[in-house]
Amino acid sequence: MSIVTVQLGQCGNQIGHEVFNAICSDVHGTHGLCSKKENESYCDACKERFFCEEESEVPVARAVLVDMEPKVISQTLSMAARSGYWKYDDRSHFCQKQGSGNNWANGYSVHGPRHKEVIMNLVQKEAEKCDRLGGFFTIMSMAGGTGSGLGAYVTQCLRDAFPTSFILNHVIWPYGTGEIIVQNYNSVLTLSHLYQSSDALLVHENDVIHKICAQLMNIKQISFRDVNQVIAHQLGSVFQPTYTAEGGLHYSRNPLGSFRDPSLYTSWLNPQDAFNVWKTPRAFNKYEKSASLVSNSQFLLKPLDNVVGKAWNMFASKAYIHQYTKFGIEEEDFLDSFTALEQVISSYTIL
Amino acid sequence: TTCLLLPLENSSSFLSRTSFYNNCWFFPSMYCLSLYNQIRFVKSALWYHGYGRPELYRLPSDGSAGSRELLLAFSWLLHRLSLLEQLLARNRVKTGDETSVCTCEDDLPNSQTGTTEIAPEYGLEDRVDVRYLQWLNGRLRFQWRSLHAQHQEQCKLLHKIHLFTSGSHMDQTLGHFSVTETDLVRQPENYKQLLQLLELETMQLEAFLEWKQLEPVYWQWMVMNQTDFEGIFSQKSTILFPLPFFPLQVKTKEEELQKEEFSATARKIQESVELKLLNLTHLCAPKKTQLHGSCRLVFRSKHPASKMAVSATEVIRELQMREASLERELKQLQEECRQRLDEIAEGLDGVICISP
Repeated sequence: MSIVTVQLGQCGNQIGHEVFNAICSDVHGTHGLCSKKENESYCDACKERFFCEEESEVPVARAVLVDMEPKVISQTLSMAARSGYWKYDDRSHFCQKQGSGNNWANGYSVHGPRHKEVIMNLVQKEAEKCDRLGGFFTIMSMAGGTGSGLGAYVTQCLRDAFPTSFILNHVIWPYGTGEIIVQNYNSVLTLSHLYQSSDALLVHENDVIHKICAQLMNIKQISFRDVNQVIAHQLGSVFQPTYTAEGGLHYSRNPLGSFRDPSLYTSWLNPQDAFNVWKTPRAFNKYEKSASLVSNSQFLLKPLDNVVGKAWNMFASKAYIHQYTKFGIEEEDFLDSFTALEQVISSYTIL
Repeated sequence: TTCLLLPLENSSSFLSRTSFYNNCWFFPSMYCLSLYNQIRFVKSALWYHGYGRPELYRLPSDGSAGSRELLLAFSWLLHRLSLLEQLLARNRVKTGDETSVCTCEDDLPNSQTGTTEIAPEYGLEDRVDVRYLQWLNGRLRFQWRSLHAQHQEQCKLLHKIHLFTSGSHMDQTLGHFSVTETDLVRQPENYKQLLQLLELETMQLEAFLEWKQLEPVYWQWMVMNQTDFEGIFSQKSTILFPLPFFPLQVKTKEEELQKEEFSATARKIQESVELKLLNLTHLCAPKKTQLHGSCRLVFRSKHPASKMAVSATEVIRELQMREASLERELKQLQEECRQRLDEIAEGLDGVICISP
């Protein structure tokens, strides 16, 4: 089963690179802490999932890199190749020279349609290389112009071209006190559009990761690289192969039994349906024991409400709207987005 | 390059029922069921297949009576379902290249358009949270997609096998190996199992041929033993025996009576029966465009001359047309629902309805 990754914008490309790095170093690590046979099947599954091993000496990541400026992509490509363990396909990227100016409308209405064919051709090529296409994993930030606007457009195109595929969007939630003044507009527009085409949105909040770096890892000068590596580690541990059978071989007692407390779940879904555990005896990234929890809960309710509230306040005074309308995103589109997100907020509130 | 489909079974318009048949529903392990449940099962299976003779359903559940009715029902199944042919097809040795195709029109009765939707009366205890239903729907959709992806993978790998073994097969009309043959090349020690299966299949075919030779005797015997003349010709009953035997039956009756007034009645009966049969033949006639059942995929570079074979591109085109028409129908129904919702919302004060 293979996953095709689509890295969108500066953020998407940097994080994508770290994710492949984390996965590759996990596979090549000698501390699998399990039998050789176990390790082999783990590595085989992982390689098929993320890499293609056709004619080249090193595995080639199943990825498409998209950005509206060339700098980050060329850095990403060369860093990967320099590692010696893996690389990207040299032809599997698309970039322009202009950038999106942090304008969602520019990414969505201008760059998107203009470059749709080229981008989708690259995606199609990657998809055809897979014997079994498990789905698409897109990485983007909500706040900027390319990742968010172009990312939303590309997700829509993916859904249209692959109606039966699974699409997982990884979205970076910007810092609350972020630098981009229109980041809340961009976030609202991105989320409402992604909701229509995507199957699942996996969110990482910059603020939260920042705290992890500061408090848990004791990093003094936190760089974007540190943040990205934490994100990549978490994603890697979620994506790596695990046993599918519940009754299979477990090497350790199930320490997660306490998650069966019904008060943790909604009234309309019982714990057995709501909670799934996947295990593997093979250690991830040299951690002897590790666990990752992915939850669909009210955790994001407050941040979402926050972002929508701030965006609405700006919208009420029509601040910066002309920058969007000049590219074809009208006030009505904003209203639609607000409505859609209010519905999401209300659904999660009464969960 | 094109892909061919070679039909392996007879197409007929009763095939929506054979899909039920193919689902292993029909022959569960009967040994674990009590006699009472066995009888219930047989009755419900016959009902499912459209057996309309009430006497069978009135048979007691203790198995104390009814061997004649059962014989009649069995004969009906034999003829109606092509029971033995189905069994043969089921037990056929698989090439691994099979796929199932269905281009039949939906069997749903059109009377559904006339029904008004009355919300069922649910007590408070019976209510299910709609969010749970949405969740189930999502899960179902996800599982369907996984199945779809696995199926696509199977097709892709099959294509690889056909491509890589092209030109290797002794049979020029096929040209490439099937999955079973390829597996045999890689693991020759499996030939013993394959041989056993083939021998079993041959035995079954031989038995079938024997049956075919004796079959007319069986039907004649069945007809002669059928004293319930009324039962056959009554409006409610749906028993029909194979075509060639009806004229025989009527003629026999004529000879038996040999009286003028009776021959007039007999002629009338014969005419009405022939009309009914003509109607039914027309309904039962297999439509050429409908392909249904199991087919073998053959990879070919040229268009085939064979009549039996169908090109995959044709089937795909037809299915796409069906898909398009179903989509239109779906959109229309959705639009109707939307309008209904708007109407309802208009009747409520202070409520705005934002349609999805």
